Amino acid sequence: MVTQGSQHVLSGLRVLDFTRALAGPTCSRMLAEMGADVIKVESAPKGDLSRNASVFRNERSLFYVQHNRGKKSLCVNLRDPRGMALVTELIQHVDVVVENFKPGVMANMGLSYALLKELKPDIILCSISALGQTGPLAHKPGYDYIAQAYAGVTSMIGEEDDAPYIPLVGMGDVSTGVHGALAVLAALRHRDKTGRGQHLDVALLDVYHHYHEVNVHTPRATEGAIKPTRVGRHMTYACPAGVFRGNGGHLVIMAVFHHWPDLCKAMERPELTDDSRYSTDQARLKRRDEVVSLIEDWLQTFPDVSSAVSHLEKFSVPVAPVLSVAETLDHPHLRQRGTVRTINDPIHGDLDVPGFPLKFSEFPEELPLHAPTLGQHNEEVLTSYLGRSVEEVEQLREAGVLVEENR
Amino acid sequence: MPHGMDHVLSDLRVLDFTRALAGPSCTRMMAEMGADVIKVESAPNGDMVRGISIYQNGRSLYLIQQNLGKKSLCVNIRDPRAMEILKELIAQMDVVVENFKPGVIAQMGLGYEDLKKIKPDIILCSISALGQKGPLSSKPGYDYIAQAYSGVTSMIGDPDTTPYIPGVGMGDVSTGVHAALAVVSALRYRDRTGEGQHLDIGLLDVYYHYHEVNVHQYSGSNGKINPVRAGRHLGYVCPAGVFRTKDGSVVIMAFMQHWKDLCAAMDKPELIEHERYSNDTLRLENRDEVVKIIEDWLLETFPDTESAVAQMEKFGVPVAPVLSVAETVAHPHLRARGTVRTIKDPLAGEFDIPGMPLRFSRFPEDLPLQAPTLGQHNEEIVTSYLKRSPEELQKLREAGVLVEKNS
Repeated sequence: MVTQGSQHVLSGLRVLDFTRALAGPTCSRMLAEMGADVIKVESAPKGDLSRNASVFRNERSLFYVQHNRGKKSLCVNLRDPRGMALVTELIQHVDVVVENFKPGVMANMGLSYALLKELKPDIILCSISALGQTGPLAHKPGYDYIAQAYAGVTSMIGEEDDAPYIPLVGMGDVSTGVHGALAVLAALRHRDKTGRGQHLDVALLDVYHHYHEVNVHTPRATEGAIKPTRVGRHMTYACPAGVFRGNGGHLVIMAVFHHWPDLCKAMERPELTDDSRYSTDQARLKRRDEVVSLIEDWLQTFPDVSSAVSHLEKFSVPVAPVLSVAETLDHPHLRQRGTVRTINDPIHGDLDVPGFPLKFSEFPEELPLHAPTLGQHNEEVLTSYLGRSVEEVEQLREAGVLVEENR
Repeated sequence: MPHGMDHVLSDLRVLDFTRALAGPSCTRMMAEMGADVIKVESAPNGDMVRGISIYQNGRSLYLIQQNLGKKSLCVNIRDPRAMEILKELIAQMDVVVENFKPGVIAQMGLGYEDLKKIKPDIILCSISALGQKGPLSSKPGYDYIAQAYSGVTSMIGDPDTTPYIPGVGMGDVSTGVHAALAVVSALRYRDRTGEGQHLDIGLLDVYYHYHEVNVHQYSGSNGKINPVRAGRHLGYVCPAGVFRTKDGSVVIMAFMQHWKDLCAAMDKPELIEHERYSNDTLRLENRDEVVKIIEDWLLETFPDTESAVAQMEKFGVPVAPVLSVAETVAHPHLRARGTVRTIKDPLAGEFDIPGMPLRFSRFPEDLPLQAPTLGQHNEEIVTSYLKRSPEELQKLREAGVLVEKNS
């Protein structure tokens, strides 16, 4: 009788979702996009704080829509014992619980991993946080950029002699949600083979730090001779590689290693290929300013970025225009792949959001998912999961234990 | 038959054709979770990263960091006897992972259709910069190329000048993690239905998926909101961003309910309800003033970043010092959590790398993994997986079909 998720790789998987804001909701939304049945528990009366964030249309937050598609909303008063009783009962029906409260809050609510295990011995609890469930910083309030700063990633963006920049993209939160989903799936495989659940601790700090592909291993290995720091717009271990000024915009050019001769050909400067001042990445790194200005001067001979890109592509130089967000929306490649997609929200109407980043050959079409209105699935969840009667649901509504609102 | 170590993915078998960074991150994540990963390296030199970054005792630290826990099989792929070995191995695998340029694996005779003939339920995971399909897919791709096409680069730096790139391989590493999630999800589906599939994971899609607000704001406002880089501060709440201190910088996130805490920390209670600063909208309108008030206070009051952070923490303000990479390596929280870890390579000795970003309560300890020397497991794989005799093994070595090198 229970409603299942749509047909996709994770159909049949049941998730109880206590997450709010961005990192947690991304985790459970990834699971929903792969067909899991996700019940989002929203605290009455207002629900997820992101219902009040970003841009609105018809009083509907587009932020909420983007990050909560495919979930069922159960809006319940968690301070009412009858509300907690419903949640406790639901835990016995699910495979996975996901939460991103500040560490310790779940336990204060009476939903620690130990207690969840009593309700469902093989439960998998995934806890997502900024700085982790353990360690001296764990209790601090955390946001994406706080974790990014502690991870040493912020220190790698900008000019060495000035304050660093932050990317205006929620990459820590979104990516940590994806990491959380991977941990859940891996733990499920283990549960299916052994019957054992577990508690997962996934944090933005760890995810950001894990991105350092060379920075962490270099300082100690060189006994401090290399101190990784931000150095502007170009890579430090190969050259030319970075952001270059074109006419009316910018390009990323990666003409490193075996691509240098291609760039020399494209610039009609074949003599530079074997010129000992430029013939290797090491030599070019020593003269980086010279190499950059050589390339940027040449780029000025093109009327615009797109003609420079086409010319470089003809010579197989790895190159890309630095697209603005607006330009990405109607780029044919991004549209064709579904890197960007248009979704239709029942309240808001059509809007563009980033596409689902995993592509499965067995399921070439995305699921037709919607973000729920507040408490939209109260009745469905209570009647079909918990076997309550419509009358009982009505009583709980009247008592304010369940809340519904069309936004 | 040698299996992976006991962890959530032990018993999973992966044939790994990946090189460089994004692909190897995917298979290394699986190895860290206990999978048995055979890395196929092309003779005579193997993975090109054996020749880059920092060396210790002739051993590339780059190679070690991304190849922990894998077995190296170094074969001459152009020799038909090597192809035979690979096909025999595929018949024993659950998963094949590759990150060649799109089309190359099919030209080698190991495209998804070929693999299915060898093992009908095989899961093939293809990782690339710009995806397997779409007008750009044939272009040579690197991390920053995909980042530029995703619009992410356009969101880093000051609006009136050239954007910056983060000096961190976040696109590659994170795409590896996304691919691992797709693989584990597809495995769950295979276990339930007996069907394998082909997975297509592109850095472009991963980077694009990070846009938590930019895409829907542009689209949802019909172009009125045009997201562009805006320096060191967030565009939709304030104060939130990077602030200068006497000896460095801090990230402060004192928007919404945190503004009053910052005012208390600054001992300026009059600013809480000030007509120019009392809510985020007003503070955004007067952002330069707000930033100046905070930076003046930081510069006049505190001798260093550490004392400024301590003062704000006392008042519950979300804050972090912008740590350099060198500082992260020694930080007690990062050490306590294993966000940074010290590994010991048999050749290169001890050095630091980022920790495994997923934490499982069933397996609190990292597996004791090593990165293989080139072809280190040729003998083990050919004799125990493929049951060849020591004489046959020796012949293949002499014919140059199998290659081994202690580095």
